[in-house]
Amino acid sequence: MADVRLVDIEKKYGNFLAVPQLNLTIEDGEFLVLLGPSGCGKTTTMRMIAGLEEITSGDIEIAGKRINDKPPKDRDIAMVFQNYGLYPHMTVRQNIDYPLKLRGVDRAARTRRVQETAEKVELEALLERRPSELSGGQRQRVALARAIVRTPSIFLMDEPLSNLDAKLRVTMRAELKHLHHELGVTTVYVTHDQMEAMTLASRIAIMREGRIVQLDTPKRIYSEPADLFVAGFIGSPSMNLIDGAIAGGVFTAPGVSFPVDQPDRDDVVLGIRPEDLEISTAPDAPVIGKLYALELTGESTLVTLRTGANSVCARGPADHEAEINAPCHFVPKPGARVHLFDRPSGHRLDGLSAKGQTL
Amino acid sequence: MKRHLAWWGERALLVLVSVIVLFPIAWMFLTAFKRPRDAYSLSLDFSPTLQNFVTVFADPWNLGDMVLNSVIVATVTVLIAVPCASLAAYSFSRFRVRGRKFLFFLILSTQFIPAVVIVLPFFLMFRTLGLLDTRLALIVVNLAIVTPFVIWMIKGFIDAIPTDSEEAAMIDGASRLRVIKDIVLPMAAPGILTSSIFCFILTWNEFLFALILTRRDAVTLPVGLVSFRTERGDLWELMSAAGVMITVPIFIMALLIQKHFTRGMTAGAVK
Amino acid sequence: MLPYWLLIPAFVIVLATTIYPLAYSFVTSFREWDLTKQRRPDGFVGFDNYLHAASESGFQNSLWVTTIFVVTSVALTLVIAMSLALLLRRKGRMHTFTRIVLILPFAMSPALIGVSYRFMFNPEFGVLAKGLGAVFPALEGMPWLADPNLAMAILVLTDVWHWAPYMTFMCLGGLASIPRETEEAARIDGASYLRIFFGIILPQMKGVLLVTAVLKTIFALKMFDQVVTLTGGGPGTSTETLAFFVFNVGFKWYDMGYASALAWILTAIMMLISIWYVRMLLSDRKMATA
Ligand SMILES: Nc1ncnc2c1ncn2[C@@H]1O[C@H](COP(=O)(O)OP(=O)(O)OP(=O)(O)O)[C@@H](O)[C@H]1O
Ligand SMILES: [Mg+2]
Repeated sequence: MADVRLVDIEKKYGNFLAVPQLNLTIEDGEFLVLLGPSGCGKTTTMRMIAGLEEITSGDIEIAGKRINDKPPKDRDIAMVFQNYGLYPHMTVRQNIDYPLKLRGVDRAARTRRVQETAEKVELEALLERRPSELSGGQRQRVALARAIVRTPSIFLMDEPLSNLDAKLRVTMRAELKHLHHELGVTTVYVTHDQMEAMTLASRIAIMREGRIVQLDTPKRIYSEPADLFVAGFIGSPSMNLIDGAIAGGVFTAPGVSFPVDQPDRDDVVLGIRPEDLEISTAPDAPVIGKLYALELTGESTLVTLRTGANSVCARGPADHEAEINAPCHFVPKPGARVHLFDRPSGHRLDGLSAKGQTL
Repeated sequence: MKRHLAWWGERALLVLVSVIVLFPIAWMFLTAFKRPRDAYSLSLDFSPTLQNFVTVFADPWNLGDMVLNSVIVATVTVLIAVPCASLAAYSFSRFRVRGRKFLFFLILSTQFIPAVVIVLPFFLMFRTLGLLDTRLALIVVNLAIVTPFVIWMIKGFIDAIPTDSEEAAMIDGASRLRVIKDIVLPMAAPGILTSSIFCFILTWNEFLFALILTRRDAVTLPVGLVSFRTERGDLWELMSAAGVMITVPIFIMALLIQKHFTRGMTAGAVK
Repeated sequence: MLPYWLLIPAFVIVLATTIYPLAYSFVTSFREWDLTKQRRPDGFVGFDNYLHAASESGFQNSLWVTTIFVVTSVALTLVIAMSLALLLRRKGRMHTFTRIVLILPFAMSPALIGVSYRFMFNPEFGVLAKGLGAVFPALEGMPWLADPNLAMAILVLTDVWHWAPYMTFMCLGGLASIPRETEEAARIDGASYLRIFFGIILPQMKGVLLVTAVLKTIFALKMFDQVVTLTGGGPGTSTETLAFFVFNVGFKWYDMGYASALAWILTAIMMLISIWYVRMLLSDRKMATA
């Protein structure tokens, strides 16, 4: 069990600054999810924690001890690699067994552990195959099994479920959640799947170009995005973001007018989530435009209207039907949150934490 | 119709190439089984005999001694060069240490030094030490040619192995040396085997060093060929028998690892 | 520290077996040392050994012989290797068989190659001498190895026979890395085979051909074994290559100082070519990445 502290760590590849001055504390027993667009430095950060990548400057502490110069094997870490890193010359069984063997676990215990773990990841039928004889998803499960076969003080998982089919992904997700609950091992987890992030994380760190833009619980990341980047990144479909201005306590843009509790200013972005809007026929609705598209997702219909240069999306009932180009009005649902951002900096406008902005 | 012609032309060319390559080898093999009288006629109608092999292994030729010398020199050279070169190749391939580029360039550039330059000082040195005409002398000098070559070749093979598995092993708790033993060596084994055989062939066929540094005791097979030039003229049938002894083991090795062998050859071009 | 420890064994070998002798012969090249007269080297004579080389006909002859040999054997090897690679590129049982056959010449001892060709070109009972005479009456009764020009031609022939297959594999490696699509697109556009070769294949093979050419040049400059077993440098001095000449000076006449100087001249030539090669290759890379 251990907490991880990254103090001002920096990583340069030649002249390219992959991670600038990152500060991050991962609490003991926490499940921290790193979320961010491709190339933002998630893998690099993990590799620095693991000791596979030398840090250019800064300090890494595990359980209060500075471990900058410790080799990976002495950091008591288990890792699932983004591209698996399996041992091609060993069978699946030997792959999973290898970390235990290195730690001198006795043979009987090893056999049992390997068997149990293989069952968890549904690989028990493939134990005697080699990695080259497996599908992508099966390889990924071997990588996962090799990490969870022992109990380290930290788990690092780099998109461990990315190559699994939807059903297996849900099963494995539950498996990981259970495992974390059972062992309480500090975990750093990278994913592109928001659902995974939301369901697994104690906290989520949103990264962009090597920086952490927001570090918070899933709930707050969703309900109080710190800036335009997070607002647009989290949520599916993503939050409606509308450029406009505030005058006389009302946010206006072509076809859009929301009363807001803010002083007058230009260059404002108003954000509202599709699930906070509903379809209405009220003539004075805050959002008015022409119906542009209808997309049935199964449990609901995504309704998009156009007004001026903006498209606005709302989540409507699954049985909603209308003609394309017909007039269309959206009103906020009761208890809906409206977010306001400063256009030039992208920052959330303070004094308007979404609480209370009920219309 | 035209396509047909091209198709046959291509096959004809392939046959021609094979014949040009195989003919000199085949002729040597035939001659090795001919009686002296037949060796000087071009007739293919002869009764094969093993007499030539019996003769070369007997006094005064004693080809057996030369075979032994060649086997010992080539084997020991491989056994020293390949392990040392493998470690160095791994270091060059995986670590970004200071001076690495310079060292690698230094080692590579020795490949361009003509063998005569190296053998001159060694001749003088071995003369002083009384090591002329010993296998030890040959092994030492062969290492000069073979080591840089093998480093270069094995590095090519190791470069082609992704680092992921090694990193995984380090996380799983293996030390660097353990990683080399458990992960790198098994994965690089085909490359190391190929390089070993290349190394063996180079040493086995080496001629210049053996010609200069040996007289009687440590003579290797290629130099032994020269001794069949006598006052009575060249003894072609005996030379051919010796030639068969030189080529057969090498051909077998080369053909056994045929696929890797061509990969080893092409490695140079792609780098 | 581990990276350095791994390097040490190999580095000790290289240091002891090449760097040291190199330095030793460099020093010797500035001394007078006739091994038939004294056991230890005489005093330093400055650049005398090098100046001697500049004025001596044996050296100049060997330089000329080497140039002819290198140019013809490199050119022939390259052309043949490239053609063979194009021929062997396709899949097929005969192609595979021929590829396997091509492994053999490289595995064969060069000294033995020299001996075999000497046997086959013997004017009285050599199978090639007789065979060629029978097929082309004009060649009947040719002196072959006793004729300076023919001897050189046969020397080149043995070298090409030895190296062209190896270089074919290098070219095949290069061809394999050319994307098939461009060539296929050109074929669909109706380009002739020659157009495709000169317009598409050759430009992309430039890098590989350059490496092949330089490697072959280095090997040709070092060529020694076949000279000894095929022609012995003769007739006269017509096939005395530089490497063979250095060998004669050192181990027939035992003039160590002069031999060292000659060896260093040979080294310098090779170094210049290698540097030029690295340069060409680097600029080629830059162009490719730009
Ligand atoms: N060895 C390297 N040399 C140079 N640049 C590198 C190296 N490894 C990564 N980078 C760069 O560092 C940045 C961060 O890479 P990283 O692999 O951490 O991204 P990531 O967030 O894991 O992306 P993904 O979601 O696609 O896996 C990228 O811009 C990448 O190009
Ligand atoms: Mg990544």
